This record gives sequence, structure tokens and C-alpha cells, in this order.
Amino acid sequence: MQISEIDLERFSNHFSAYTELRLHENTTQQISLLNGDVVSNARDTSGGVSSRVFDQGSWGFSSNANFTDDAILSTIEASTRNAAFLATRKGDSEARLPAAKAQASSDFRTGKPRMSQDEIIAFLRACDQYVVETCPEIVSRQVGFSALDMEKKLYTSDGSCGHNVNTRSLISIKLTTRNPQGEPIELGEGFGSRGQFEDVFPDMVEVKRKVDELYRHLMNKKDAVKPVSGYHDVILASDLAGILAHEAIGHTTEGDLVKAGSVAGDFLGQRVASEMVTLVDYAHTYEGETLPVPVYLDDEGVASRDCVIIEKGILKNFMHNKDTAQHFNMALTGNARAFSYTDEPLVRMRNTAILPGKDKFEDMVASIESGYLLMRWTNGQADSTSEFMFGVQMGYEIRDGKLGKAITDTTISGVAFDMLKEITMLSDEMTWNCSGMCGKKQPMPVGMGGPAVKTKMFIGGE
Amino acid sequence: MSEKQLASEILTGLQAAGFERGTARVSNDELHELQAENGDLNLFRTNFETEIGMSGILDQSRASLSINKIEKSVVGEAIDNLKLMALSGTPDPAFDIAGNQPAETFSAGPKQPDYELMYDRINEVEAHAKANYPILNLRSAGITYFKRQSAVLNTNGVEFQSVRGQYNVSVSFSSKQELATSSMMYTGFSSFDLDKPIHEYTNVDALFRQSTEQVLTEHLPGKFVGDMVIAPSCLPSFLGFLTARLGDAAMVSGTSVYKDKLGAEVASPLLNLHSQPVGGELCSGYWITGDGYKAENSVIVENGILKTYLLGIYGANKTGMNRAVNGGGCYVVAPGETSYEALIGQVENGILINRFSGGRPNDRGDFSGIAKNSYYVRDGKVQFPIKETTVSGNLIELLKSIQAISRECLNNGSSSYPWIRVGGITAS
Repeated sequence: MQISEIDLERFSNHFSAYTELRLHENTTQQISLLNGDVVSNARDTSGGVSSRVFDQGSWGFSSNANFTDDAILSTIEASTRNAAFLATRKGDSEARLPAAKAQASSDFRTGKPRMSQDEIIAFLRACDQYVVETCPEIVSRQVGFSALDMEKKLYTSDGSCGHNVNTRSLISIKLTTRNPQGEPIELGEGFGSRGQFEDVFPDMVEVKRKVDELYRHLMNKKDAVKPVSGYHDVILASDLAGILAHEAIGHTTEGDLVKAGSVAGDFLGQRVASEMVTLVDYAHTYEGETLPVPVYLDDEGVASRDCVIIEKGILKNFMHNKDTAQHFNMALTGNARAFSYTDEPLVRMRNTAILPGKDKFEDMVASIESGYLLMRWTNGQADSTSEFMFGVQMGYEIRDGKLGKAITDTTISGVAFDMLKEITMLSDEMTWNCSGMCGKKQPMPVGMGGPAVKTKMFIGGE
Repeated sequence: MSEKQLASEILTGLQAAGFERGTARVSNDELHELQAENGDLNLFRTNFETEIGMSGILDQSRASLSINKIEKSVVGEAIDNLKLMALSGTPDPAFDIAGNQPAETFSAGPKQPDYELMYDRINEVEAHAKANYPILNLRSAGITYFKRQSAVLNTNGVEFQSVRGQYNVSVSFSSKQELATSSMMYTGFSSFDLDKPIHEYTNVDALFRQSTEQVLTEHLPGKFVGDMVIAPSCLPSFLGFLTARLGDAAMVSGTSVYKDKLGAEVASPLLNLHSQPVGGELCSGYWITGDGYKAENSVIVENGILKTYLLGIYGANKTGMNRAVNGGGCYVVAPGETSYEALIGQVENGILINRFSGGRPNDRGDFSGIAKNSYYVRDGKVQFPIKETTVSGNLIELLKSIQAISRECLNNGSSSYPWIRVGGITAS
């Protein structure tokens, strides 16, 4: 039975309290080439039904791997029973959730004929061959493809309903060379976008551009110097601004983390950033373009809307699910998302971005006497204190307004609400990144975007 | 239909489809979870999941696929897809499956959850935190009972069945006093029972107390190169570099810095690192490797000498080395001879690190990151909790610079680690 064929509304007469009923299936594909050999060739399909019930302030949740009527009914019954287990022990008869009724459907699967596994592997082999032909100093190479299709159908007792299919396709390339001391030096990048393979990689043009760029930087990195640890003027390349928005600010302004004591809770309505900073968690669209992770209806049945977190330097809003919106008496934003059918929805970012400014990138570099240009992130973490860090695998010294030597891998960090006040320039470009997978309890694809940012940050090093 | 029956049917299907060799894994999982957020026990979850994994080798080309539906039509379609995937792969003589072994059945842990006990234990830890640490916010406290019943069969006659039930407990917390907030901290453990209050397992209570101290942090007095005492909860951040580079990916690609180091010194002679998936010390062990072999315990590093790589069948065949007797994980670092007090007492200028938030280290082992929930140590005494402190160094050198290992260890059910003191760390 396909998700699209199942009518969820007909189960609504089994709801005895506020209930969310969700059919959810994730399909992932993973192909890896290591030095030309296909070392991983795997596919996973995992789906089922989940039901979540709110009873006197407590949630009952249950899931089952099957889509049959019996499985759906038993899941509703189990979640109702689970909620009652807690309600009978600690029930709060006054507890309420904000009501929301919305409908939305979307489908980002390709309309083209699907490519066979053979054809996708042939494409990856061509990528690998391009590396062999154009990157003579490579000692090891990895080319990978990963795809995630996430299909959800929702019906809530408030009457919200929708059927949404989000897709994402990424190619990752990692190149390794050796420096003059014979040590391995590596550089990698994942790239792609919303959509399935046929739409995201219609030809090799983007792959070749990425390989050329990676190899050029990797050759510079062979002779990299260690950055000097300490506070420095830095330019975060536009690909880094997105993770800055996500890690440094986004997490501290998620409603559940604010409720749990995040320092952002003390700053609502206050200046937390330079006046030139506006930061938004977009639901699905930016300037008419559909974003990497479009969310029209969240997993609590709330119509997703943009959440302006910082406007001209002032902290304006937090991102919410129904519980935190109720707690803070704020408007719903539609940020509740679940990764798998076995997961409950959590407050998650969607497409978080710092808006671009008016500066030219070249002028930003020229404005720094001594500092660093940082690019290509590896991972990141946030904290309730607004202290953040992220790993950086490529960068350059800036001396007297000019780019200098490449630097070795490093970690950059800061206190978000201090660092944001130090922002003095924002470039006029806007780069969106689709490869992010946020790891807050459950994994979750996220979009991140922004311009190049000039600020001050702490750099780890010698 | 039992897991074994379904796995057997899948093997028959794989052979009928033309696969020369194949492996089938079928598991039925139950998850029962109670979770509190911000002092409010507000989620009760029960999940029932089936996982079917199949892999096959056809003309020396391998593919793998997993689904979670047991209907014959879905399983049949999956086998057809697996064949298409294998036909598109690269033939490689290194692909193989586990050889024949005697059939065996394994079992451990409780067969069903005790809801009332789970409920009481969560309320108890909430009450304990509230009574003893008023500024501590227990952001989340969860107890999960997880049971997996599974069967692994392959076309060489492997036939293993197992059932394991265990409780997994996790807590995350921070403290807040007026406008001062501590860093988030989290810990957890796995256990076959819930015989004790949660705060009496591992070092949960000590971490609660430390969190309340960490609302008031100070900067380091200045940049220095000194010692670092690594707490058990933080040790995987520093040992992970070694273990990751002993596995298939790093060894087959040839990028591992340890590729020619078997039998060579890779760490201080004080370090003894084991992988103990079986035997009972760690309740989160496993009986069967990912390749389908019965797992055995192993010594990875003995007195600083590398004794084994962590290669699976593919990695072993590809490199011409021996297959590891387990799939890694379940790590145990043997205790040393120094007391925790002496470990700290011998630090002239250094850091006690409880959590590391850092960038992924590069293949040369260079690392840098933030010392979270950590302390400045001077003249043998813990001085104060620190903020915005970066530590950096090289992980290859770090393992060689181990100065002392504590007698005390923390066993969280999936690993057992002592406190370890290393030197030569840059802190700023």
C-alpha cells in the first residue's frame, strides 16, 4: 500500500483527545567509490505510522512499521493509552495546546524518468575519472552519492492535513594528497540540492567546477601554516555564514531550548547584533525561489511561516512548536519536524540565513590588515550559553588587505551574542547550502544561507 | 513468522535470484520510553519496528539493501532491486561473507520493561536534582527500554539468533543563576536493571554538582602549554581518532597514519585499550559482527603497542591483513595505578576537561576545540570553571604523551574509561 492511497481522516473517529496521525517513509540511497572501486552500494526504505496524543499536559506516542488499517488503529490505541498512563498520574486538566488548522501538499520528486542504478554509478565513475585526469597529485580519492526522500502524510484532530514529499541529492568528494613531509592533506565537500538525482545533476558541469576548485585549494593547503590562536579579524566566506546562522544563533533561539534556559531567553526585544544583521528562519521560499528544505506544513499540522529571529540587530522571535508557543504566548511558526516515523516532532530549523548586505567581497578582504579568510565547514556545535564552535577545513591568511598562505584545519568559536555585535561588513551575495544534517536528538536535513561576513572570532591554533 | 524463518526465506530468494553468496538479517525491535523535559514527565512512547537487511554477491559484485516491511511482495521486490544494484557494481575479489560457524543462540537482559519502575526512577532523579541543586535545570531525563530479537543467516550456513533487552538512561542539564548560564552537559548509561536511583549510576550526581558550579566561569589566566586531564566522558573524543583509522575506510584508502604500525608503539606504554563486545562487563555488547562472525574480545593496544587493526572481511582481503575478531566499539581502557587525586595533584598548570566541542580532526591528527564544562588546574588543585577556552594539539602525539591513568574507571554500559592525564596541550 502506498502512502498516497491511504485516507487518514477515516480514522479520526478513533481520536479521543488531541491527536496527530502521520504516515512517514524515508528512502535513502548511498553509493561510495573509493579510488574507483564501488565499496558501498546500499539502499534503505523505512516507513510506518505514528500517532501522538495530548492528554492533560502529557504526550503519548506510538509507532508501527506497517501501513495496514489494523496497524494504524493499534497505533492510535497505544498512543492514547500511553498518554493516559501519564495523565492518570500527573494530569493537568487545564493544559491546552494552541489550535491550528491548515492544509498543504508538495512533491519534489522528479517528473523525469528515473535513472537506473547503473546510470547513477556510471555518472559517479565519470566524476572519479575526471579527478584522475585533472588532479595529478592526488593519492586517494572518494566520490559518493547520497539521497534522502522523505514522504509524510498527516492528519490531526484539529483538521489539519497534508501530503508532502521532500527530496535531497548530494555528491561528496574528498581528495587527499601529501605534503612535502609525506603527511596526508585532505579536503572534501558535499554539494547538491533539493530534488532527485535527475534534476540535481543533469550533467557534469557543476561537479567539474567543484573538483577544479577543491583541487586548487588542496594544492594551496599542502603548504599551509598553522593559524595563530586568539581573537582575529575574520571573513567568513558565504558558505560559512549559513552554519554561523544555524549553530551560533539558530539553536539558542529554538523555543524548546529557550524554555530550558538558553541565554537567548533573557534578550528578547534587546539588541543582540550589529544593526546590519537580520536573521530569518525561512519556511520554504526566499525572494521567489523555493529553498533547500521547503516546509509548508509542519508535523503538528501548523502552516509554516517565516520566523524573523533578529531584525536589524534586535532579537525579535523564537522558533516554536505548539508547546513552546503556548508556553511563551507567542505565535506558532511551524517549526515542529520529525525525522522518522518513530520520532516525535521537535523544534527544528528549516532554512536559516543571515540576509546579505551591500559590501563587495574584495572590499572586505582589503579592509583587513591582519586576519583570516575562513571557508568550508566540517561540523559545528551550539550551547545554551550561546557559545558556539565549528570546524573549518580551508582558509587563508589575510595580510595588508591581501590573501596570503593557506592555513591548516582549525576550529573557530565565540559567544554568538558578542560576535554578532562585531559584524561590520556583509557581502552582497547570498549562498544557500543544502548539505547540512542537524543532529539535535534526531538527524534532520536543514538549509543554511548567508553572505560573506566580516567579524571577530577566536581561532584555535598555535 | 520468526526472524529465523523470514531470514531463511530471504536467503532462498537471494539464491533463486542468482546470488552466489548472501546474508540476511531480520530483527524485531521494541522501544518503550518515558521522558521528562524541564522537570515535567510528559512523553510516553512505544515503538515497534522490524528491520530486514540483505546483502548479496553476484559475479563478485556486492550490494546491500534494507526494508522494514515483511510482506512477501515487498521482500520479493527488494531482492529484485538488490540484484539490479549488484549488477551495476564493481566486481571485486575482496567481497565475501562470513564462513560457516556452529549455530548459536544468545540472550541477555530483561525480557520486558517495568513501566512503574521507569516512572518512579525519573521522578526520583527529578526530585533529587530539585532538592540538592536548586539552580540546576534538568532539561531532559529519559529512560528507554529497548529489546531486539534478531536472526542472522548466510548462505555459508551461518545461523545466529539473539535477544537482548536493556535500559538506556540519558540526562541533559544546565544551571542558571540570574543571568548566568552554565554550558549544557549530558550523560547516560545502559544497564540490565534499574536497581539504583539514576543519580547513583556512573558520575551522574557529580556532574549535577559541577553544573551548578559552572554558572560562574572565568577566563584562563593566559595562554599556556600544559597538561590536560581527560575525564572518562570526554575520552572518546580523543581515542576516536585512533580507532577510526584502524578500520576499513582509512586502511583501504591508504590514508591512515597507522597503516604500517602493527606491532609498533602508537601510544604511551601506560595505555591498554580493549574491545570487549562479549563477556558481560559492558551490557551494550554484541555477539555477532556486521560481517556475520561470532564476536570475540580483543586487545587493540597493549602497553602502547598496536596489536590489531579493526578490519572487516573486505578490508582484510583488500589489504592482505587479518580480519579483526570483532567490529570494534565496546572499548575498555584498563585502569592505571594512580589515584584520581594524585592525577590532579601532579598537574602544575593544566585543564580538567569534561566535554570537548571540537572540529573534526584531520588525517594528521591535528585537533582544536572548546573545553566545555571544564576546569583550570594549577599547582595540583582544581581552581575554577573556565569559559571560552580552546585546546589544541595533535592526537597522535597526545596518545604518546600520556603521563598517568587513574585507578578509578567509569563504566557506562557501552564503554569503561578511566581519567587520563596527557601533556603538551596548548590552551588559550
